[in-house]
Amino acid sequence: MSSPDPGSFRDPASRVVLDGDRVLRLLDDRGLADWRALAGSDFFASAVADGRLIAATELEDPPAGSAGALEHPRLSFISYPYEWTFSMLKDAALLQLDLLKDALTAGITIKDATPYNIQFVQGKPVFIDIGSFELYRAGEPWIGYRQFTRQFLFPLLLRAWIGVPFQPWLRGDIEGPTPAQMASLLGGRKRFNTGALFHVRLQARMEARMSDQAVREDLKSAGFTPELILANVKKLRSLVASLEWEHGENGWSEYGSCTHVGRDRDTKSEFLGSAIEHFQPKRVLDLGANDGHFSTIAARAGAETVAVDSDEAVLDDLYRRSSGLSLGIALSDLANPSPAQGWAGKERSALTDRARPDLVIAYGLIHHLIYAASVPPREVVTWLRSFDCPVVVEFVSPGDEMVAKLVGNKLSHELHADREEAPFRSLLGEMFETTHEMALTSGTRILFSLRPR
Amino acid sequence: MIFEYLDPGSGSLLLQAVIGGATGLAVAVKAMRAKYGLGRGKAAPTPDEDDAAEDSAQPVES
Repeated sequence: MSSPDPGSFRDPASRVVLDGDRVLRLLDDRGLADWRALAGSDFFASAVADGRLIAATELEDPPAGSAGALEHPRLSFISYPYEWTFSMLKDAALLQLDLLKDALTAGITIKDATPYNIQFVQGKPVFIDIGSFELYRAGEPWIGYRQFTRQFLFPLLLRAWIGVPFQPWLRGDIEGPTPAQMASLLGGRKRFNTGALFHVRLQARMEARMSDQAVREDLKSAGFTPELILANVKKLRSLVASLEWEHGENGWSEYGSCTHVGRDRDTKSEFLGSAIEHFQPKRVLDLGANDGHFSTIAARAGAETVAVDSDEAVLDDLYRRSSGLSLGIALSDLANPSPAQGWAGKERSALTDRARPDLVIAYGLIHHLIYAASVPPREVVTWLRSFDCPVVVEFVSPGDEMVAKLVGNKLSHELHADREEAPFRSLLGEMFETTHEMALTSGTRILFSLRPR
Repeated sequence: MIFEYLDPGSGSLLLQAVIGGATGLAVAVKAMRAKYGLGRGKAAPTPDEDDAAEDSAQPVES
């Protein structure tokens, strides 16, 4: 039984449907002609071979109602740009520009420029929307330019030049900042950067002046050539490549050097190793992954692993170390994980619905939810149970040094009553069966390996 | 007519030519001249005025 992918409906020429574990792309006549042109090009063969473009095979018998159909390999985890780190969005932007340059040379163009067309596989960006390629028509400008600036360039500028994380913006407005909004935000010397002058300020001004004037045919008649697109792409690539986010050592980036972390890390690694051996998970979700030490253990053990954390700096470092590993990365605050949103509330699905784990790691997490986010322990355990799979969890007692920091100025009566070990064990017993447990040397932390009841 | 599902933004389309250096700037100016008749002694009619002129040239039914 096939079902349309709720995130694939904007392009009438090409739509993705999920048929069990198969991912199919249904094409109309125009989509099929564009696919055949792409498939016959050297560009396609080389981009697939070097892993920049997802593989696609044309089906001999397309489903009724479609002119043609392709089958793609299924990706283990889909992430969205508002869950990416700076380096992930930057690499995706460079891929988008490089593919456009190479495609144009082969007489093909990419009709849009959205990061939702890119996913990360083995720590590298891969372009997944074959339907975005179409034959270049003489005199056509780059239709995706404005979208590229709003969804790639401006978010990167937000972080690199203004020091503001782009993820909350992209999560709130899937289309990204407008040129006018960016022009309002850009201050100081950066306003006079050539890239800012053209892509931000001039674009904002021209957008305001030309809002209701069609110019596409005029540009064609005036002799617009693909060389002009290539010149723009070259300048954009140089601008994007120059953008850096200097996050240094702050917040959780230093977590690995904390005394309690170093002391207990080996024990926790061995405990996780035993759980992986016991439960043999194919898919692991590491909640509060921090520097990804435990996610990496799971990935190296052969599980398709997803590391979730709210600290962009540690995840950015993890991304740069994840090449060759089956390790997805999602930046998200677990007290407020990415929701389902977009058209009909379904276009982008909730983070927890995309992960589909068969083992959850919750090391060094629940005290943050209980003490910093004030989530009642019962809610936390119920939430862990909702994944409906085994869980490896680290209980942190109220006497722990980290808890003292998290409690801060909160008074005892302002904290949840069932935060102590005995009531927490009772909660676990209601929803899980403990298969293994181990006290850490600190004396304030206990590891539990749990199977859902 | 070819349907496009993405609004490319007219200002953004024109800007691409401007960014493309001297050749591009010439294309942008030419496109704008064609559209508005800028830089000529007498302004060319806008597309709306063109339409109006054609309309008025139609025989009037009585």
